[in-house]
Amino acid sequence: MQNPYEVIPADVYEVIQESPLIRTLRFKPKKPITFKTGQFIEVGIPGIGEGPFTPSSSHYIVDDMDVTIMKTGFLTEQVHKLHAGATIGIRGPFGSNYPLEKFKGKDVLILGGGCGLAPLRSLFLTMLHDNKDYNSITFLAGAKTPKDCIYKDEVSEWRKYDNVRFIRAVDEVPPGEQWAEDVCLVTKLLQKINMKPDGNPAIVCGPPVMMKFGTFDLLKYGYKEENLYLSMEKKMYCGFGQCRHCVIGGYYACKDGPVFTYDQIKNEEAIWD
Amino acid sequence: MIVNKNDFHSFLKKVNNGLGNINEVIVPYRARSDDENPSFHFQRFEENKILFLDFFRTIDPIKILFYLFREKVYPIKNKNLKRVIVGVKACDLKALHLLDKAMLQSGFVDPAYKQWRDNSLIISSDCDYLHETCSCNLVNGHPFPENGFDLNLSVIGGNYFIQIGSERSQEFVELMKKEITVANSTVSDIEIVKANREKVFNRLIEKNNNLTHSGDFSEIRKVEHKSWEEVSEACIGCGACTNICPSCYCLILNDESTDKDFIKVRSYDSCQWYGYARVAGGGTPRPKMTERFRNRYLCKFDYMYKNFGEFGCTGCGRCTEACAAKIDFRQVVKNVSSVAQEVN
Repeated sequence: MQNPYEVIPADVYEVIQESPLIRTLRFKPKKPITFKTGQFIEVGIPGIGEGPFTPSSSHYIVDDMDVTIMKTGFLTEQVHKLHAGATIGIRGPFGSNYPLEKFKGKDVLILGGGCGLAPLRSLFLTMLHDNKDYNSITFLAGAKTPKDCIYKDEVSEWRKYDNVRFIRAVDEVPPGEQWAEDVCLVTKLLQKINMKPDGNPAIVCGPPVMMKFGTFDLLKYGYKEENLYLSMEKKMYCGFGQCRHCVIGGYYACKDGPVFTYDQIKNEEAIWD
Repeated sequence: MIVNKNDFHSFLKKVNNGLGNINEVIVPYRARSDDENPSFHFQRFEENKILFLDFFRTIDPIKILFYLFREKVYPIKNKNLKRVIVGVKACDLKALHLLDKAMLQSGFVDPAYKQWRDNSLIISSDCDYLHETCSCNLVNGHPFPENGFDLNLSVIGGNYFIQIGSERSQEFVELMKKEITVANSTVSDIEIVKANREKVFNRLIEKNNNLTHSGDFSEIRKVEHKSWEEVSEACIGCGACTNICPSCYCLILNDESTDKDFIKVRSYDSCQWYGYARVAGGGTPRPKMTERFRNRYLCKFDYMYKNFGEFGCTGCGRCTEACAAKIDFRQVVKNVSSVAQEVN
């Protein structure tokens, strides 16, 4: 019998400052954590507490993981104080994953903004591992300003694949900053690409307001409700449906999600809050 | 089976002292003996105290013995302490049944709960009196256990009529037969128990007559927020209702790790508190008291029904008894369900 509260210690070996507010922790768990892309883990600092984060690394690598974390509250502030050499505690993995089997042979659209790119990077890297299995992959990534763009060093690598498009947009370019790519809301990029909504999946993750309008736009362009995959974020405290903090109508974001189709949760309340 | 009350009590005394490798016997005792309105709480068996195995439920729910207010869940120590809990009522058995579904049958097993559950023998008993807030009849329950017990006691004069409810009680029964006289029950004993149960049940139905509701909660989520605002007006959000509810098990996981070890401790949380569902950055899906109040009722009658196929309310009435604002749970359910019927 596995104890769901079991903590797996992990050694942080690198901390990458992605943007002023976002850092990626790279760590090696003392015991391999086998997860499916889209699932989340609880990342804990001894004596402080823990919070749910989705790994941003490929699920093909189980002994070396990344999590990308934005400084936004008490715990994440403590996370940002960590340096290489720190020990953290991991529980999990928990929840549902992206159904890659259903994406095979399809034109996959990924829409993300801000720190929402974290789980999408995991999905993207996992798909790149067998990129020939997918007809095409289009990744639309948004950020507030050029400075807020994350995974900067990896972009040129991601753009080398024939069947992969990685398009970025920033909301605005403040004076003094350089930007040669699109300047618009990430959802506006949808108009620029040649979308193939028919039967193809779209995956959305980002700040609540971006997810809301991104979802509505995709529906407008003809994506089907059951093909829209949303990564929901609630207070996933225990990770397995016992603590009940993350309830979305009778669903639990931790156990039934975090990956939901829009079709599943469209009638529930406060899903964008 | 029929046993004499005094014989049974002396048998419990021996069990409490280690007979059958049992560590302790827990029974309901009167909380305040000078009080005109009796109330009960679970305590360890003591030789010279009077036992009350009829009456009604205890003040505190059975969950305090299986799902402790504060409990270490990682790393987990072996608690091989066999114990016998006597005088559990039907409403609490239903609560244990719900906790089992949540903690043993949802794909994950809560290790601490499982240990308590595995090591406890449950001897339930019929309710012979009713608490003012008792209302199990409103949520498909009865004031006598039907299943979920190892043994059940019904009082017949100076004797207990004992019913066997599980295979694992066999060992305990054999032990009892060695120690005290156990007679076979007769048809008339069964008749007496049946008649008594019916009498108490009818009294309960009569008592809750004006609180009866349809029992159909399929439309409860359509009830407008205005109706919820009306019924929740007095609520101060203290969380007493959820803490004392036998089927509420929302938890906080505290990290009490040291330099050497990772330690996780869980304790009760309450969906009535503002910080309950708050996420990093300060956002919360239920900022208003009335929304959190509504959440509790929806959890009991909609979410739990969806997840476990049963209502989360056992009708024990403890939330009504504990409410600082004197909100009657039954009255709220009645009002809301009648609005839900209209919506339909």
